[in-house]
Amino acid sequence: MTDHEHGAGSFSAFPQAAPAPVPTPAPDLETRLKELVLDSKDVVGFLTDLALIASSRLSSPGNRIHSGVTVMRRKRPEAVASSDVAARALDELQNGFKDGPCLTALRNGTTLLVPDLAEERRWAHYIKAAQENGVSSILAVPLNLAGEAEAVLNLYSGCSNGFTDEDISTAEAFANQAASSLRLVLRIAQLSEARNDLALAMQSRTVIDMAIGAIMAENRCSRDTAFQILTKASSSRNIKLRDVAAAVISSISGEKQIDTYFDE
Amino acid sequence: MYSHGADGQEQPDQAEDLRGTAERFRRTDLPLAKLWTYYYGLGGGMDEMSLDAYLHEALDVPAGQVALIAMAMTELMEGESL
Repeated sequence: MTDHEHGAGSFSAFPQAAPAPVPTPAPDLETRLKELVLDSKDVVGFLTDLALIASSRLSSPGNRIHSGVTVMRRKRPEAVASSDVAARALDELQNGFKDGPCLTALRNGTTLLVPDLAEERRWAHYIKAAQENGVSSILAVPLNLAGEAEAVLNLYSGCSNGFTDEDISTAEAFANQAASSLRLVLRIAQLSEARNDLALAMQSRTVIDMAIGAIMAENRCSRDTAFQILTKASSSRNIKLRDVAAAVISSISGEKQIDTYFDE
Repeated sequence: MYSHGADGQEQPDQAEDLRGTAERFRRTDLPLAKLWTYYYGLGGGMDEMSLDAYLHEALDVPAGQVALIAMAMTELMEGESL
């Protein structure tokens, strides 16, 4: 499901017979999103699935909708997921210009529609580049994540006026539901990251504490002094503290592998 | 809370270090919890709230802890830029 669709990388302003949107008897969106939350391996995978669903729900014969998700990460916008390579390229293009309809929607927290790029006077550079890529209309819907993060769903169409009023409310309703699932995914990701960080910290601390003890015994010095010796060795050789500690232990006992065990 | 113990003497020297580390932290958007966890893994002896206070220049801590905080930040940032 996370794979990009093949052959979806180009735009065409001309109505085409193919590709028809998959007319699967749309399973109830809420159930679908719940499954996605449970199945997704990471945030990016989840967002890619979201982009694919958005794209297939809004596309109609002759008006294929390309979709991408931009997330603010470390104060910089980043294109993290897309339904296809064309959407990804457009998102990255906009982030490169640091301004455009999607980033404006993200900042303002409101939906933004550019019905016809040929008529648009704002964001001149980006609009020109997007037109050269075959885009004629853009719809940007921010995802309300209650301050946990910022993200926007970017929808591109090769037709001018490619988004009807109905499309806009569909996209907004979708973004609303998707946002609460995304918050859940983000929270799960944060917790498992914190857990992994803690596990690493326990491992590293075991090795370092052991080395500190060894240095104390060898030099008959205090814990603080032992720490000083170890940190000095680490910064003067530009080796991580943990690795210096491991070297100290193996120089004494030859042990290369110091493990800390947890119940997983 | 970290007990200051007998090594409070070293502190005057650390004013610059303190500002440097606190400022470096503000320039990154490293989450506090991530920094604390890493610092703890290096053998750090302060809790997260004391670390927060230190980074906001509201708490003086012994030189040894400052060195560990600075080291935690450096090692974390190295990992970031890869």
